[in-house]
Amino acid sequence: MDVIYNLIQITLGSMTILLVVALGGLLSERSGVTNIALEGIMIFGAFLGIWAIQGFEVYPYSPMTKFAILIVTFSIGLIVGYFILQLIRKFLLKKEEPMKIKDLFLKESSKFNLLFILGVALIIGLILFFILSANPMSVSLVLLMGLAVAGVTGGLYAMVHGYAAIHLKSNQIISATALNLFAPALAIFTRRVITQGGQQIKFDSNFIIQKVPLLGDIPVIGDLFFKRVYLSFYVGLVILLIVAFVVKKTKFGLRLRACGENPHAADSLGINIYKLRFKAVALSGVLAGMGGVMFVTTFSNEFNVTVAGFGFLAIAVLIFGNWRPSRILLAALFFGFMRTIASSYSSIGFLRDLALPGQIYDMIPYVATLVVLMFASKNSRAPKALGQVYDQGKR
Amino acid sequence: MTYKIEMNHITKVFGSLVANDDVTLKVKPAEIHALLGENGAGKSTLMSILFGLYQAEDGDIIIDGEKVTILNPNDANDLGIGMVHQHFKLVDTFSVLDNIILGAEDTKYGVISYDEARKKLENLIEKYHLKVELDALIKDITVGQQQRVEILKMLYRDSNILIFDEPTAVLTPQEIHDLMGIMRNFAKEGKTIILITHKLNEIKEVADRCTVLRRGKMIGTVNVNETSVEEMATMMVGRKVSFTVDKPDVKTGEVVFSVENLNLEGKGKKILTDINLSVHRGEIVGIAGIDGNGQTEFVQAITGLIPTHHGKVMLNGKDITKASIRKKYEIGMSHIPEDRQKHGVVLDFNLESNMVIQNYYQKEFQNKSFLKFKQIREYTNNLIEKFDIRSERGAETDLRSMSGGNQQKAILGREISRNHELLIAVQPTRGLDVGAIEFIHKQLIEERSRQKGILLVSLELDEILDLSDRILVMYEGEIVAELDPKKTNYDEIGLYMSGGKRGLKA
Amino acid sequence: MKNMLNKFIIAIKPSLIAVAFGLFVGLIIMLAFNPMEAFPALITLLLGGFNGGLQGIGNTLYMAAPIILSGLAVAFAFKTGLFNIGASGQMMVGAYVAVHIGVLWNVTGLLHWIVALLLGGLAGLIWGLIPGLLKAFRNVNEVIASIMMNYIASFLLIMLINQNVIQELRAEARIVQRSAVLPSLSFLFPGSTINIGIVLTIIIVILVHILIHKTTLGFQLRASGFSMDGSKYAGMNTKRNIVVAMALSGLFAGLGGAIMFLTFGKALPADGVIFAEGFDGISVALLGLGEPIGALFAGLFLSNIRMGGYYLQSFVFVPQIVDMIVAIIIYMTAISITVQALFKRYGEQIKAWKINRKKKGDEA
Repeated sequence: MDVIYNLIQITLGSMTILLVVALGGLLSERSGVTNIALEGIMIFGAFLGIWAIQGFEVYPYSPMTKFAILIVTFSIGLIVGYFILQLIRKFLLKKEEPMKIKDLFLKESSKFNLLFILGVALIIGLILFFILSANPMSVSLVLLMGLAVAGVTGGLYAMVHGYAAIHLKSNQIISATALNLFAPALAIFTRRVITQGGQQIKFDSNFIIQKVPLLGDIPVIGDLFFKRVYLSFYVGLVILLIVAFVVKKTKFGLRLRACGENPHAADSLGINIYKLRFKAVALSGVLAGMGGVMFVTTFSNEFNVTVAGFGFLAIAVLIFGNWRPSRILLAALFFGFMRTIASSYSSIGFLRDLALPGQIYDMIPYVATLVVLMFASKNSRAPKALGQVYDQGKR
Repeated sequence: MTYKIEMNHITKVFGSLVANDDVTLKVKPAEIHALLGENGAGKSTLMSILFGLYQAEDGDIIIDGEKVTILNPNDANDLGIGMVHQHFKLVDTFSVLDNIILGAEDTKYGVISYDEARKKLENLIEKYHLKVELDALIKDITVGQQQRVEILKMLYRDSNILIFDEPTAVLTPQEIHDLMGIMRNFAKEGKTIILITHKLNEIKEVADRCTVLRRGKMIGTVNVNETSVEEMATMMVGRKVSFTVDKPDVKTGEVVFSVENLNLEGKGKKILTDINLSVHRGEIVGIAGIDGNGQTEFVQAITGLIPTHHGKVMLNGKDITKASIRKKYEIGMSHIPEDRQKHGVVLDFNLESNMVIQNYYQKEFQNKSFLKFKQIREYTNNLIEKFDIRSERGAETDLRSMSGGNQQKAILGREISRNHELLIAVQPTRGLDVGAIEFIHKQLIEERSRQKGILLVSLELDEILDLSDRILVMYEGEIVAELDPKKTNYDEIGLYMSGGKRGLKA
Repeated sequence: MKNMLNKFIIAIKPSLIAVAFGLFVGLIIMLAFNPMEAFPALITLLLGGFNGGLQGIGNTLYMAAPIILSGLAVAFAFKTGLFNIGASGQMMVGAYVAVHIGVLWNVTGLLHWIVALLLGGLAGLIWGLIPGLLKAFRNVNEVIASIMMNYIASFLLIMLINQNVIQELRAEARIVQRSAVLPSLSFLFPGSTINIGIVLTIIIVILVHILIHKTTLGFQLRASGFSMDGSKYAGMNTKRNIVVAMALSGLFAGLGGAIMFLTFGKALPADGVIFAEGFDGISVALLGLGEPIGALFAGLFLSNIRMGGYYLQSFVFVPQIVDMIVAIIIYMTAISITVQALFKRYGEQIKAWKINRKKKGDEA
């Protein structure tokens, strides 16, 4: 029995990583931009995310860690301040139109608004900062902070690909390849130069929830999903729900899908294709960055400059899942399961008896992907404008 | 009086092409104003400027007496300007409702709320008889219905200036009739309509005034009911249009090409049904029909671009139904394709490579797999001279940099010069200027004199009537009529083209 | 003649700009970390193999051969409009087969390395054939398929090495027999490991150049690469072209992989690492503007600065700086066309502004 639970735990762990990264790929691709740089973005996000986690584990915090915390809390403050401003405008001042971000900087009259947001950000940021640095962080909080850092860095890194692909209209495969090559090199370079060789970027925490109160007591299901589960699993599910909702039901999601299916139509309705696609690519980076941290925290306790091809496997999951969130979940589960078998077949009776070399199981997910691609490519629901450069000049 | 719209001295340049040259257009409120001109006259460009897709280099726009700046479609929308494009800008996988609200969604904290939109649209649909299912997907509805979606897009945004860009190109005559009625209703309501078209009879039917553009310049504005079709046509082309071409009498020979019981299915419906036709040597058979009635698929099937499973195609006595494209060329087929940039040429190759694209492997152009560049060059230079193909650097020119007319002349020259017995020409003069059109028509007539068989597929009825010895009309994937150009007229062909009449007539 | 030279310079400008920019950014990064050592490090990088005299140059040429072939593989596929990201996998299977033959087979004299090399190439050909078939007949995206093949190859290698040619107590294959080793050229470059691999590579590059530009097969492949629809209309067998292109591409990569390990004392690792040389091929192909001859020079350049990376041991920087520079160069090539167009438009705007000003000045 224990063996099965162990398998499930590992499967869910793998599944979560693939799910989150594939959802990132979904956002980018459904807006029309291919993104095979997920692997590199994962590494980049993991690098800075794990480094941050290493920092968050040691209390009292080092100056650099404090700085990182301040950045995260200040960012949160900015977002809160923005929303408070909008609410005030709508209900107190009875203004119809929400204020656009660029207006904040351009219009003379809105200097006051800008100061307001900055002020709120500062207050909230500092309050949160003091709360956070007053006590050592709980394990869950450490992971969430690490994910936040990884998300931000992943998003920024992805913007490099986005800018090239969208605004500079470059070949999307090439710019993505550049990102994949750069990230591990930078990570190794920085790590060695800063830590003068030898010191690894590792962490001590074990990001597994032993038992969720109440829910963990439910027979069978409790043992499966609420005991000895990776924390990232819950984060992944929340992300799934959010992404699925945004894509299907929000204005942003509708416009994003339009950009991927028929950008000319969206353009003729006044939608800024460049801006929207750029946001989508940035978001894909946020998710991929988080996926990178999830990878490292699931499979080891140090950052080893690799994500074992999960970035590419996630693309396969995306295709397998026919660019739909619900299917992607199933695809991620399948691929996660396959990978788990590959690494733990020796503990499964009948498989051990087969005496096949371990590498056969390793190959299964990849061969399975090829087989699926052979048959999926015909009925694909790939976004129609995927990979096509959009040029406003050629309307 | 105040005009509703004034576009004064508009100049728009694309690189070295002057699309609009000091054009002035004044439209009265609540009138239906036609914008007439041939392909490339600048009508679409001018309206795109009004709609904010382009910005003019010079000139200004005045709406309701006030000068305005229109930098993007949103600005145009704010001024009440809406446009139904020639090529619909719809998202196939979205519903009708989503397509209409896209870009103007009602939201609650970012989440789309459909209720208000639905109500408003249902009212609009009632009011203007624009029957369409709000939850249907675009890919599942007819072209006529799709156009109604485009119209609803404008009405939803409270447009009162409506621009229609060649709206009837894809409609059946019944749908055209409905559209005309809808336009008249809009005008009665006080909305201002601009109709871009090159169809004279439609202008006569529905427009109040008409502005004619030719080669980027504004020629004049006339009251439609005081001007004859011939006068408008002359303004459009700049000279008396002769509606007939010199066609010598040629004796037709044996059957060189035949199609028997060709059937084609796709996407759950029948695309071609029981097509039977034959072409004799020395005759031009013209296939007339509205775009989208199976002509494209028919040509693709007989030329091999799509596979055929049911039917028989014979060329020069041989069965080519299942033959490869190369084999068809070898047996004697030549094909001027509908989409010249997609199929007819490789844009990134130079002229000479394009001239031997089908027969580079033959003995005259290669030796033991090594290309004979000298021979290829000579061959190309020959074609350049014979067919007056103009290009920057002769045989070395990249095809991309050549004009549409010269690209087409190159394709024509290539197809005619190869050994062939049958020439299939699809839309051979689309998008070309009058000079190029005349040249190509002449070449086709000469082909006929050389006892070749010619299958001409065209959307331009004039072209079909001028050149054909026999006319076949295709409607919804079937040949519904065979007519003698000397005995038939526009109305009769039009009737068959729109399914109003069926049955073969000798 | 002058016209051709002009055209040539215009054509390679994007690559030169990309390289210059990459080196520039690399310099900035080094300056940021250690200003004192940055410039000397850059010089070392640029000198590359020359840092070590004849031995260094010899080693540079030795290292260049596989990445030139890898670049050739990617470039060849490019020409046909295909993206062969699977060069690594093709190199790996080529390497394995060559090693297998080199270790286990007993072939007389000269033939041993020839057979090992050719069969290695054949293995690469088959490995490239698979994504080619998938693309041609099932429209599977060749980028994804190639990436999958890379991973499958990495596992396959571990399995086969363990089964057949494993070195006791180590996670690597045994070294190949003397007779399978490529003949050495170290008499020209004493102390280095250079062998005829580089000579064979140059010959292959020239042959491929002729193939692409002068033969009917090359004509077809290029036509398909520029326009699938146009080549189909012209009667070409586009499916066959895709398959042939990927197969040949795999052949070149396979040969590259074989050349890598038909050296004395070099052991094929059984650790599942995907050959970096395959990804170098992408950089080389891009820098070389997708042309075989371009790949030759780009490969020599890359090998040279890689060598420079090794000589950085005395500095505080690590060889990864080279990888970063290369990544930036690739990024620059991706955007270079647009950047060039931007510069041109900017230049024209400035010109127009100047003319306008002059006009206004004349009128005043």
